[in-house]
Amino acid sequence: MAKAVAKQDQGQYLYERLKALEETYVATLNILEDFDEEKTKLDRAERALINILEDVEAQRSQSEHSKNLLELVNKELEAFSYSVSHDLRAPLRAIFGFAQAIEEDYGARLDEEGKRYLNLVKDNAEKMGQLIDDLLTFSRIGRRQMQKTQFDINNLAKKVYEELVSEEGDRDIEFKATIMPLAYGDESLVRQVLVNLLSNAIKFSRPMKKAVIEFGYSPKSEAYYVKDNGVGFDMRYVSKLFGVFQRLHSAEEFEGTGVGLALVNRIVTRHGGQAWAKGELDKGATFFFTLPKTEEEWKVK
Amino acid sequence: MESEIELILIEDNPSDVELLMRSVSKHHLVNNITVLKDGAEALDFFFGKDHFSPNKPYLILLDLKLPKVDGMEVLRRLKSEEHTKEVPVIVLTASQEDRDLKDAYKYGVNSYVTKPIDFKDFDRIVSQLEAYWIIVNKHPHEKRG
Repeated sequence: MAKAVAKQDQGQYLYERLKALEETYVATLNILEDFDEEKTKLDRAERALINILEDVEAQRSQSEHSKNLLELVNKELEAFSYSVSHDLRAPLRAIFGFAQAIEEDYGARLDEEGKRYLNLVKDNAEKMGQLIDDLLTFSRIGRRQMQKTQFDINNLAKKVYEELVSEEGDRDIEFKATIMPLAYGDESLVRQVLVNLLSNAIKFSRPMKKAVIEFGYSPKSEAYYVKDNGVGFDMRYVSKLFGVFQRLHSAEEFEGTGVGLALVNRIVTRHGGQAWAKGELDKGATFFFTLPKTEEEWKVK
Repeated sequence: MESEIELILIEDNPSDVELLMRSVSKHHLVNNITVLKDGAEALDFFFGKDHFSPNKPYLILLDLKLPKVDGMEVLRRLKSEEHTKEVPVIVLTASQEDRDLKDAYKYGVNSYVTKPIDFKDFDRIVSQLEAYWIIVNKHPHEKRG
């Protein structure tokens, strides 16, 4: 009897061991299954990651490619303007030089009309020289590395105005400059902006008995501005103002090559700013431009 | 003024050569002008078989953009060779590029002048150059006394 019990116990024991083993087996299977599933997920994630990395790499090489292309185009542009500066000037110098030689050696044999024609040849050669110079400045400024600092734009404008007005003889001009925030950027480039805007203000207010020119700051639009009471312009043509070689006045009325405002726009845009204008015929014009005021603002833009 | 200066003009543009000679001849300060039409001709003149020797005052007017060998290379050679480095070299160029200006001084140019378009200015600059380099300036190969 005792033996039978013992046997039954053993059977029970074995059965339980077996069951436990089976459970372990099932659990292991489950774990393995889970593991498999996890592995699939992991594989999928890995593949996704590889895809992303491949995309990033593709984008990187794309942007590397664009950068190289840009550098190449810049180099070509540099070579082009170099050759413009050298090769376009040479024939002009010859035209001017030999016209001068005719005047010196044969001037006595020319009548008034002949002399007038000769002067027209020289005037036009000189004008073309000015055009070439302006175009070169335009291309140089677009390429130049910027030296950034914070500076007193009010003071700069006053200095520029004094220099410009000293060449104007005894005109009656009132110049106002209000207090305004410091600007941040390339001071010598911004100086060029002020030279162009202020010399325009001086030029286009020439017909006025008393010219009033103002360098100010509009807190509303956060823009610096140059305002004059000169001949102004028709707002219908405002879109043409900032284009290269675009002019709203004939050379007889007002001299100029039509590069000044294009240059202003280019410099301001390179600073992350904007330039725009308001005007009315015979009632003056105002030219606005924005610039960063601190290094932080520069970085944001 | 008893100056014995010899002008060496390295310039490829015949109109510029003629205009320059015209300006120079007005002042009677130069007694001989040698014209070299490109960079290779210039190198041959200074460093070729007929050895150039600066036994009298020379003044070199050098254009930068030259066929075959460019003016900057000619300048570099002139200023690095023992027998030519004392000869004053004036770069006379249409180039207003900062790079050219810097490079020219780096190689040791004695003066850098840009060619204006207006011939009156050109004429004036040539007179000033002559006045300075021939009358005012002391030349290392000048006969003293």
